[in-house]
Amino acid sequence: MQHTLEIKDLYASVETKEGRKQILKGVNLTVHSGETHAIMGPNGSGKSTLAYTLAGHPKYEVDSGQALLDGVDILQQTPDERAKEGLFLAMQYPVEVPGVSMTNFLRTAKTEIDGKAPSVRTWTKDLNEAMKRLRMDPKFAMRSVNEGFSGGEKKRAEVLQLELLKPKFAILDETDSGLDVDALRIVSEGVNRAKENTDLGILMVTHYTRILKYIKPDIVHVFADGHFVKTGGPELADELEENGYDEYLPEGSTESALA
Amino acid sequence: MAEQEQNTMQNVQSQTQPTNTEIKVPQADPHDPYAFPAAMPSSADREPRSFEVDAFPKPTRKQEDWRYTPIDRICEFFDVFEPSGKISVDITDTDGNPVDTSHVEVSQVDMGEKPSGTVLMPNDRVSAVEWVSGKTATVVRLHGENEKPVVVHVHGGGMDLDSFHLVIQADDRAHGDIIVEHDGTARIAEGVEIVTGVDSHISTTFVQEWDKGSKHVGNHRIRVGAGATLRHSVVTLGGDVVRIRMDQDFGGAQGDLNMLGIYFADPGEHIEHRTMVVHNYPECKSRVVYKGALSGKGAHSTWVGNALIEPTAPGTDSYELNRNLVLTPGAIADSEPNLEIENGNIIGAGHASSVGRFDDEELFYLESRGISETEARKLVVQGFFAELVEEIGVPAIAQHLMNVIDRRLARGENVAMQAVLEEK
Repeated sequence: MQHTLEIKDLYASVETKEGRKQILKGVNLTVHSGETHAIMGPNGSGKSTLAYTLAGHPKYEVDSGQALLDGVDILQQTPDERAKEGLFLAMQYPVEVPGVSMTNFLRTAKTEIDGKAPSVRTWTKDLNEAMKRLRMDPKFAMRSVNEGFSGGEKKRAEVLQLELLKPKFAILDETDSGLDVDALRIVSEGVNRAKENTDLGILMVTHYTRILKYIKPDIVHVFADGHFVKTGGPELADELEENGYDEYLPEGSTESALA
Repeated sequence: MAEQEQNTMQNVQSQTQPTNTEIKVPQADPHDPYAFPAAMPSSADREPRSFEVDAFPKPTRKQEDWRYTPIDRICEFFDVFEPSGKISVDITDTDGNPVDTSHVEVSQVDMGEKPSGTVLMPNDRVSAVEWVSGKTATVVRLHGENEKPVVVHVHGGGMDLDSFHLVIQADDRAHGDIIVEHDGTARIAEGVEIVTGVDSHISTTFVQEWDKGSKHVGNHRIRVGAGATLRHSVVTLGGDVVRIRMDQDFGGAQGDLNMLGIYFADPGEHIEHRTMVVHNYPECKSRVVYKGALSGKGAHSTWVGNALIEPTAPGTDSYELNRNLVLTPGAIADSEPNLEIENGNIIGAGHASSVGRFDDEELFYLESRGISETEARKLVVQGFFAELVEEIGVPAIAQHLMNVIDRRLARGENVAMQAVLEEK
């Protein structure tokens, strides 16, 4: 089935020490099932804010605009309702939840998303196989959510959830950061598998072109100063690789100076 | 958890108590400087220990030991009373069957008849009142290898004042687990004496699941044998006022004490735990970990963890920790660790204490996976306690405790639901 995520003229702000600051300034984007969009841009351009605003993080406040998932404005929903609607956010820094085992967490999430508990037999099999494909040690399932996981293990655990929860759209926020080449390949394979199996639509937020060698984008966008400034095919990524983001930065500043 | 934490190693409490007796400062032996005993009088010396009620003044909030306690709500326990005898006590295994008499002996003795009154002495007025008011003591003695936990089920018989005195004795090299469960409605003064033999491995778990309005003042007096391991757990999940004070020392070297506490305070409830760990022999180890959750206006918890390391206890390894999770606004958690270290030759004496709220990032992470806010909060609270329960290391008891906690969380849900229904 074909699904659509349509972001319309989205403005959002965050409360800072210096007062309220608008980060997203008129975001427009349409993603269909099976499409992979790379969202690239300089540091501080608001890429992650877009990801978290769509997922419903309480820190970000929507000023105006819509995000329609098959016509339903998810911005009016709580984070768990958005997840049930079919949205998934793979976080750059997955949060540790002490004392809550991965198995208990995954089963609870699966039950909530599907609206019914998974059958014991197929669930255990699915979980074990998914972990095996991501080269995850089975004992991870017994550990607390993300607790004591290395950076690479956390990213694998995010992709594990992506594969098990089977969302319609996934936002991958800097999923490539902190991964060595082997881990990057394993994680990318997982994302590609999810796309193949469920016709997932992907919004891949990234600063570097490295991950694009493994997860091929159909469309590449440049995000700067809170909105999309350029859209093109995969060749746009090569161009960014070559020239950097300088031309998208405010007059007189460079990427390194902003970082 | 979003929390402020302080970790201090060897935070030596200053001693300013004036004393009339002249202190003779001993000469240090340069070959064994750590043998130098503390020149200051220890706080243990100035705290009265007595079976006489009048040895203790009536509690007021000006006294250090009572400063957090709502005195007026438990003043009925300040004078000797005639126990109603309405509390019922059953002793079985975990399946409700009679205990294995080849390893467990259960008997009744008159108060004061051995082994009652043999482990330390009452240390405050309410524990002396319990001692004087009570008529008999129940004795549970363990020997050999006990496979199944022994359950002492204390069921309240209403609001008439009653008392209960329990002595738990473990022979040398005994292995076993005892669970003491309290439920129903009661106003109870309870005394518990625990003495464990050489190289024994014992766990004692005290669960308070009192009905609303119940009051419980308790005093545990504990002696851990040489080379013995004792896991002492306290789980307090309900009661108008529950105040349990635990005094402990070691009966020989290389004892290992693990004290673990879980509590849950609802609106208007006062839940207080005071632990006093005394290191009086060499190379003993103690861990005190208490965790509590509080919800609603007037929910009040108090944890005071005292640790005293005496000059006779080189090689001591001690640590105490208290964490509080405030679930909804309006609750008060008092948390006070006190360390008194009179011996420089120790492995460690640390403490940590915190009061925190739900971490928004944890909740958001769970919610972004489709888990509702209510369910996410429940998972976080379960996790908060599960970390601790796992450390018990006795599967039957860990499971039992998680069941008790789940029951408590389910009750919270019902209460919340009830409130919603009543509003409509």
